Amino acid sequence: MTREDEKTIACRCEDISVQEITDAIHEGYVDLQSLKRYVKFGLGPCQGKTCILLAAQILARETNRTLDQIMTPTARPPVDPVPLGFFVKGREADDEK
Amino acid sequence: MEDNRIATHPILAWNRGNPVHVTYDGNEITAYPEETIAMALYAAGVKQYSTSSRFYRPRGMFCAIGKCSSCMMRVDGIPNARTCVLQVRDGMDVETQHGEGKFPDVQAAMKGVKEKKAEVLVIGGGPAGLEASLWAARSGAHVILLDQNPQLGGQLVKQTHKFFGSAKENAGTRGITIGKKLIEEVTAAPNIMVYRGFTAFGWFQGDVCAADQDHAVLFHPRKVIVATGAAEKMLMFRNNDLPGVFGAGAAQTLMNVYGIRPGNKVLMVGAGNVGLIVSYQLMQAGIEVTLVIEGAPRVGGYLVHASKIARNGVRIMTRHTVLEAVGTDHVEAAIIAEVDEKWQPIPGTEQRVECDTICLSAGLKPSTELLEQARLDLAYTGELGGWVAKRNWAMRTSNPDIFAAGDASGIEEASTAMMEGKIAGLQAAYDLGHVDVPVEEQKETRHNLDDLRAGPFGAKICIGLKCVEVLE
Amino acid sequence: MSHFETGIIDITYLREEGFLPSEEREKNGPVAVIECIQEIPCDPCVGACKFDAISMDGINGIPRVDFAKCTGCMSCLKVCPGLAIFIQDKSKAKPSVTVPYEYLPLPVKGGTVTLLGRDGASLGGARVKFVLAADTVSRSSLVSVEFDDPALCEQVRNIKVE
Repeated sequence: MTREDEKTIACRCEDISVQEITDAIHEGYVDLQSLKRYVKFGLGPCQGKTCILLAAQILARETNRTLDQIMTPTARPPVDPVPLGFFVKGREADDEK
Repeated sequence: MEDNRIATHPILAWNRGNPVHVTYDGNEITAYPEETIAMALYAAGVKQYSTSSRFYRPRGMFCAIGKCSSCMMRVDGIPNARTCVLQVRDGMDVETQHGEGKFPDVQAAMKGVKEKKAEVLVIGGGPAGLEASLWAARSGAHVILLDQNPQLGGQLVKQTHKFFGSAKENAGTRGITIGKKLIEEVTAAPNIMVYRGFTAFGWFQGDVCAADQDHAVLFHPRKVIVATGAAEKMLMFRNNDLPGVFGAGAAQTLMNVYGIRPGNKVLMVGAGNVGLIVSYQLMQAGIEVTLVIEGAPRVGGYLVHASKIARNGVRIMTRHTVLEAVGTDHVEAAIIAEVDEKWQPIPGTEQRVECDTICLSAGLKPSTELLEQARLDLAYTGELGGWVAKRNWAMRTSNPDIFAAGDASGIEEASTAMMEGKIAGLQAAYDLGHVDVPVEEQKETRHNLDDLRAGPFGAKICIGLKCVEVLE
Repeated sequence: MSHFETGIIDITYLREEGFLPSEEREKNGPVAVIECIQEIPCDPCVGACKFDAISMDGINGIPRVDFAKCTGCMSCLKVCPGLAIFIQDKSKAKPSVTVPYEYLPLPVKGGTVTLLGRDGASLGGARVKFVLAADTVSRSSLVSVEFDDPALCEQVRNIKVE
């Protein structure tokens, strides 16, 4: 009896299941950074706020490690979804500068 | 039209104002000005906001505080809007987002990024951020306070229960009352400037950029206090993304901030303080809590909270977990089972629990994305909820210009978050050279904080702090 | 099963550990019973007592009532965040219990309600002796119910308004 199958979602943004993460670990992706790049979790609009910890838990479980042995992946801007228009126009003159 | 708004409540009252109208997938729905899009839709009975990008699964809300992506919709032609933190406007056009979403059919807001100096920049206006702002400002510093929600207060605005802790520090007062007082003080302070609805989304060479839907500002801060709070932890079980499965905090936001019924029959997963308190608050809102389950052999929260719901006839089952959410478009039931010592489900113990809502209260994870990006020294500390920043006794991190406080620095209580915020705010002002900093008061607050942590519930926190409170 | 598994506080434990007043004391008038048996960081009840009847060993201590000093004045009931304090009164012709109550609708004086035990099971009907509606947002409303059987004083911990 399991709690998980292909309908157990780890990353909602990119629609990545627990099974896909587990499979990738068994293929040899055993550090969180490369696992993230390969499977694509944590790369959606929320930038991994829910799934990074789940993926770390799965990785720890599948590789018999504890969570403190797993490095957290690099966080990059934007950490929250914001309209891209700001970046297109860039800085604007401001009196207060 | 379905209306899930709560009319009367033993603690709360809502002054909703005059209705506005929003178009949802071509149909007009009624909303109220203070409501966010996701809340107004939920009140109208809309519980699916999008279809997922690969498996085309229905998605509803999960966190309701802007931390996840579950409620993203297309708003006024722009995709991926976080509808749980975006307030409604009369005439707004809201569409369900199917799959990866359509290309925007309006020109994006190309307003450019303004620049602004900030002596102390506080990110997050919850209990820690409010106290940090107030005490830095009282010590003479100029403060800019950012919060991604339309209102300040963080989770205080939904905490209808009376706080525990020391009578000297607000115990016996309801969280909402404490929040209201702090917000009033912050609003009245001449040297605190508040940016509501602004998300701080990244560091750029020591500067912090923040934006709402229409404006962006690049702040040049001298000191930054990160009080970004926490996000609810997800659990892994079949159909864990089905609409109707959401964080206990989301249920609290719905019913206590906006006065909207989260569901009619709730299964609560987790009997820590959050799970127990939210179960009680659901009952206060007139909602049936069918069962509370907990994986551990004991109730994790305070016994008084458990007793409060037990004497209302709600059963708590320890050593049980959820295996599956049942339903096609929305939760119709849950399958639960007993677990063994290793938290593995015991075959043959499965049972079906009829419910329309599954609330998860499996703990919180500190929201440390900005701290990680600032390349601070972090450590994984299970006792504090995950990766947290190393710091000194005054909440100063490995970058002397950056402080962390509240749940973002380790999961604890709102009462301790307020004390941490106060300590950090005072320290930031002191480090900037302000001479009016009440240093004795800061030391006393730290002393009171240590006192609160001296009991069995604080023992776990203290173990965690030993790993991270290591800086000079 | 232990109360830490069910949330239902074990009355035998309360009796053996001295959380309940003696029969003798009960005859003298109303008295507060604090069912807060776990070390948690919380102390408003101590400061709320005007008679110095509640003591605690540090903020994480367990509150203990000096039943000789307690007058059953209800000040502590209003502030307890855990809603864990009750007043028992076996001294009158009609025994009564006062409980904090934070639901709607509030019962009315003279009305009938169902008595509930620590596990939420019904203990029969009772008459509402008085209702003290919450005076500020942070107070809890208090409801006092009277009945015939004095043995119920130690059992009744909640009410249900039909």
